[in-house]
Amino acid sequence: MEDEISGTYNALCQSVVDMDEPGVVNLATEALANGFEGYDLIEKGLSVGMKKAGILFEEEVYFVPELLLCADAMYAGLEVIKPHLRGNPDAAKAKVVIGVIEGDTHDIGKNLVKIMLEVSGCEIYDLGRDIPPAVFVDKALEYNVDIIAISTLMTTTMPRMAQVINILKERNIREQFKVIVGGGPISKSFADSIGADGYSANANNAISLVQNLLTEKQV
Amino acid sequence: MNTQDLMTPLERSKALSAGAAIDRLPCIPIVGNSAARLINARVSEFRGNGKLIAEAHIAAYRTFGYDNIRIFTDLYQQAEAMGAEVFYPEDETAYLKTPALQKIKSVSDIVPADPWHDGNLPEFLEAIKITVDRVGNEVPVTGAVVGPFTNTSFLLGADELARKITREPQTVHALCEISLETAIRYCRAIISVGGTPSLTDAMSSSSVISPHHFEIFSFPYLKRLIDDIHQMNKKVTLHICGKSKPILSRMADTEADCLSIDTDLSIAEAKQLVGHRIKIMGNVNPTEIMLNGNASMIRNAVINCVRDGFDSPCGYIVASGCSLPTATPGENIHTMMNIVREIGYPVTIDKLERLDIS
Repeated sequence: MEDEISGTYNALCQSVVDMDEPGVVNLATEALANGFEGYDLIEKGLSVGMKKAGILFEEEVYFVPELLLCADAMYAGLEVIKPHLRGNPDAAKAKVVIGVIEGDTHDIGKNLVKIMLEVSGCEIYDLGRDIPPAVFVDKALEYNVDIIAISTLMTTTMPRMAQVINILKERNIREQFKVIVGGGPISKSFADSIGADGYSANANNAISLVQNLLTEKQV
Repeated sequence: MNTQDLMTPLERSKALSAGAAIDRLPCIPIVGNSAARLINARVSEFRGNGKLIAEAHIAAYRTFGYDNIRIFTDLYQQAEAMGAEVFYPEDETAYLKTPALQKIKSVSDIVPADPWHDGNLPEFLEAIKITVDRVGNEVPVTGAVVGPFTNTSFLLGADELARKITREPQTVHALCEISLETAIRYCRAIISVGGTPSLTDAMSSSSVISPHHFEIFSFPYLKRLIDDIHQMNKKVTLHICGKSKPILSRMADTEADCLSIDTDLSIAEAKQLVGHRIKIMGNVNPTEIMLNGNASMIRNAVINCVRDGFDSPCGYIVASGCSLPTATPGENIHTMMNIVREIGYPVTIDKLERLDIS
């Protein structure tokens, strides 16, 4: 029995890694019919698959197209599972507002981070791309989020990430939010230099970054 | 000619290939939209204004005295001429707003661009022509041309391209073929006005696609494009942004005449991998060093690149790893040029050590 259960999760995970969208849909449908919990299928199947895909990306076995197809497969699975989800039994999850800063429309990276965080259980407000600094702040307040996540691929827009933090300071609400930054030209040293709370080099590490920051915030 | 140099870029380049004495190594801080700063123009004013683009690049060349003028504003000009929609911010580099195939429904309705007629390409040809007429007797003038695979990405959109690579490879090939035709026509037009094409192929990078997909969807089209340029008796530089180590040997196999290396690979490694087959240029970090660095950081970065590259068997050009950000301070470009002048020629390890300490 134990083998059968882990076999289902493993197969689901593997189908995500294999970019097999119909496979994921079939396995998820079948598993739900057999009484599996939606959350378990996401957490032990889809999410693990996406995490493995992320590792393959880091290892340069997978590249951007492969990762996007894994994400497509995972999303197809999520669509099947979503209607079967009951209220989240776990403790509070991070609320995150995410977007690509003004001047940039490259959103592949932002979308991957969004998917990763979504699967890890975060509540995501996706602002989209080419978003002015003030809008990040306004929306963070409106949705009462824990974390502001800002992405860019273009060096020219990097100063605007600092503007988000400056606006928070000007409005005396800097301590209300954790600010994290990422994207092609961003480095840990840049993140530190603008006073961001966190930086992740890739979508995979964004999950633990957010979890750590949330713990920090709640302490 | 720049007053601080003893030779013009063309004299230097000719002497170098003849094995004669030169004053210093060639140096190319890749100036794109940052040229606007030299004439107090806004980047958006470049749109559809070949005269202004030329004016800015001539001013930038005269100010800094670098070894190659590269007429370039953004990657989307060929795609725009084929139906993609491009957004032009007030004072920053343009970006893709809508891929061509979100507006044009069928691949068969996408046709190769006519560079004398479509989009803003005629203005780029005008810019190249004016620049060649004014300073072409002392410095090579190149026009940036986007590689077929990267252009295909702008026709399809990055996400759709990712899906189609796996599910509909024949569609990707069809679009690469049409993009190749556009690129060939544009290259020929550039050559006809006295310029030289300079290839840039960001999406072929190993930061984006696998070496396997590079082999299938990018290499064959690049090779055919470069063959066509060679038939017109022109040399051509190939630039691929981001990671290039896994495909570097294949980049050399395209028989391009020079490879422009981004910062993900050291010049020492590039030299070791392909330096015996092809000239290399690079790779001072455009953001951390050229945009945000101070004079001593720039000096060190240039000295390190020169130490790695000066003895590369097929030649080495000091350059930035990629196009400089629009906001790069002019002072930093002067600093880069000046340290190359200070290093002079011939380059010796001793001299580099002495400069490093000073």
